[in-house]
Amino acid sequence: MQQFVNVTLTGLTQGLIYAAFALALVLIWRSTRIVNFAQGSMAAATTFIALALIQAGYSYWLALVVSLASGFVLGAIIERVIIRPVEGGNELNAVIVALGLFVALQALIAIIFGSSFQSFPAPFGLEGFQIGGNRVAFTPNSLYIFGAVVVTMLLLVALFRFTRVGLAMRASAFSQEVSRLLGVKVGGMLTLGWGLAAVVGSLSGLLIAGGGFVYPAYMDSLIVFGFVAAIIGGLDSPIGAIVGGLILGLALSYISGYAPRGSALVTISALVILMVVLLVRPGGLFSSTTARRA
Amino acid sequence: MSRSSRRLVSVLAAATVVSTIAACGGGDSGGGGGGGGGGGENEASDIGVTEDSIKLGAHFPLTGVAAPGYSEIPTGVQAYFDYVNENGGIYDRQIEYIYRDDAYNPTNTSTVVNQLVLEDEVFAIVGGLGTPTHSAVLDFLNAEGVPDLFVSSGSLLWGEDPETNPYTFGWQTDYESEGKIIGEYIANEFPDAKVGLFLQDDDFGEDGEAGIREYIDDQIVAAERYTPGNTNVGPQIAALQAAGADFVVGFNVPSYTALSQLTALQLGYKPQWFYSNVGSDPNLVGSLLGRFSQGAVSDASLLDGALTTGYLPTVDMTDNPWIQQFQEIWDASGQEGELTNYRVYGMAMAYTTVQALQAAGQNPTRDGLVEAIEQVGADWEGPLFAPFRYSEESHMGTSGMTIERISGNGSEEVQPVRITDLGEDISEFDGEATTPPENGIPEEEAYEG
Repeated sequence: MQQFVNVTLTGLTQGLIYAAFALALVLIWRSTRIVNFAQGSMAAATTFIALALIQAGYSYWLALVVSLASGFVLGAIIERVIIRPVEGGNELNAVIVALGLFVALQALIAIIFGSSFQSFPAPFGLEGFQIGGNRVAFTPNSLYIFGAVVVTMLLLVALFRFTRVGLAMRASAFSQEVSRLLGVKVGGMLTLGWGLAAVVGSLSGLLIAGGGFVYPAYMDSLIVFGFVAAIIGGLDSPIGAIVGGLILGLALSYISGYAPRGSALVTISALVILMVVLLVRPGGLFSSTTARRA
Repeated sequence: MSRSSRRLVSVLAAATVVSTIAACGGGDSGGGGGGGGGGGENEASDIGVTEDSIKLGAHFPLTGVAAPGYSEIPTGVQAYFDYVNENGGIYDRQIEYIYRDDAYNPTNTSTVVNQLVLEDEVFAIVGGLGTPTHSAVLDFLNAEGVPDLFVSSGSLLWGEDPETNPYTFGWQTDYESEGKIIGEYIANEFPDAKVGLFLQDDDFGEDGEAGIREYIDDQIVAAERYTPGNTNVGPQIAALQAAGADFVVGFNVPSYTALSQLTALQLGYKPQWFYSNVGSDPNLVGSLLGRFSQGAVSDASLLDGALTTGYLPTVDMTDNPWIQQFQEIWDASGQEGELTNYRVYGMAMAYTTVQALQAAGQNPTRDGLVEAIEQVGADWEGPLFAPFRYSEESHMGTSGMTIERISGNGSEEVQPVRITDLGEDISEFDGEATTPPENGIPEEEAYEG
């Protein structure tokens, strides 16, 4: 029983981390209709900025703010300078550019910050809560991750549903020409979308890093799981991203904990889950419209 | 995927420096040095050997998940070779040492070893690191007839079957022998312990498990495996806890020692830990765990009281003459950083390499080098606690191990060196502790056949 509880809690915590990453992907998809493969490297870059500040003696929270701000700037600059020239062309072009960016950024991180393994501090404790004489695999830091992800999701839902900016962002992603005719500054919206997505990405990078180890490629494995989570959820829905992340986190944790040689099956299982979901519901679990394409 | 890095740049720089030294060293290198002997002229006797240089190659993870610790090994090797070169080299040949980053990814290993053998044209590969990585180039090196010395891994693959792999030699204690010595110790000292195993899911974990099960199969209550690269070991540690294991033996790499400790802390799980030699460096694990907040984790003390094994002196043994010697060489090398156990490992392996090259004679050939190690390698004395098992029938490295208890950044011996071999019982090692030669460079005679 205790093992079941711990495996479940481990899965939930991991799932929240996948969800955080998936949220960033959903955000950029909603606002630009681009799947951003460079997201992982961008998040790693801002995490290393935060780590440099923490190592220089500044507080975690200051580092968090600086990292999110630099994420916004990085996202906006990348959109303006690198993505803009290929936007509106063949869909594949932007994807390939993003992939190239992924590799280039990772190399840049290694050059600037070195490639060694480093521990990244967590803002809250790493010892599990005590419940009925047993410690369980849910720590104050897990609670922080949980809170941060849920708040971010609510903010995103509110942005897209209740604000004019959110509406304008969705409109420009959906149809640039029509939006322009209606007076929406499409270019600005796209830049804003990339900036905001990079902020969420930076947050996920920090959440993943906290209480763990970072090196330039530390996001690599999470990129795969984050994508799977986003696609399970439908790529278009912030709530879907969270649910997708949690489903994936739990499933992988049970497989890792109970299947023989489970740890080795984790990556492959993620892809099997993805295939099953896509076969049953091709648009993902939370797709509201069928295969909408820009 | 190419990951450039500062380290790689410095590696390339170092390699360039070495070749420059080698180029300059030719003219006036008559003075002294190891090896001596041999009245004849130096010849370019084989690939990678010129009149005044000999080229060696290696692959190490300088980046990625296995880089912590392991990336320091080649800097130790380099420091020792530099020292030998300054003292005249081997038979007046300067050692050129080139090491490349494979990021602990077997695909990369194939690429960089191809490069070393075909483009750089090295005489031999020395100390290539890792079981999965080096397995990828084992057939290639043996097919090409490139001596593949002193693999930095305790897999049985390197030495068990010299007929299939005549050019490959192990160096450190193999994982199965280590498992046996650990198993025997637990059977004697902790006969009531319920033992859980935390294993890397490859040959490393399998060999260790096989050895340990020879002695305490009935005491083992759970065996959990992790896949390198999957950093969530929560389910595995939870399973060990649920199985009631109060004694956990880990055959894992250092970063997973840190991860298992963090996860156990989270779960409030406090068994007696026993980490095999590979994963137990207290300084490294301490520095990985050191910077977490809330005072929940403070430096190496988390590993205090854990057990481990040893086959080489460690940096905390400041009275050990080998450590004193290596410390001097390291300080003189002018490289960044402190002397660490990984650098000691590199220097000790470089020491054995120099012994092998000396034994191969004034004008070494690849086949001659292999023959020399088979014939006289078992007699070499060096920093390792117990002798090598080299012969025509076995290319296994050393076989002896102590058991140590970690305290602070060092360790205390709780069981003296015991030795064993595949399919044999364990016995006490009755040899004497060795001391380094006066100038720190071995003087093996050329093996004439």
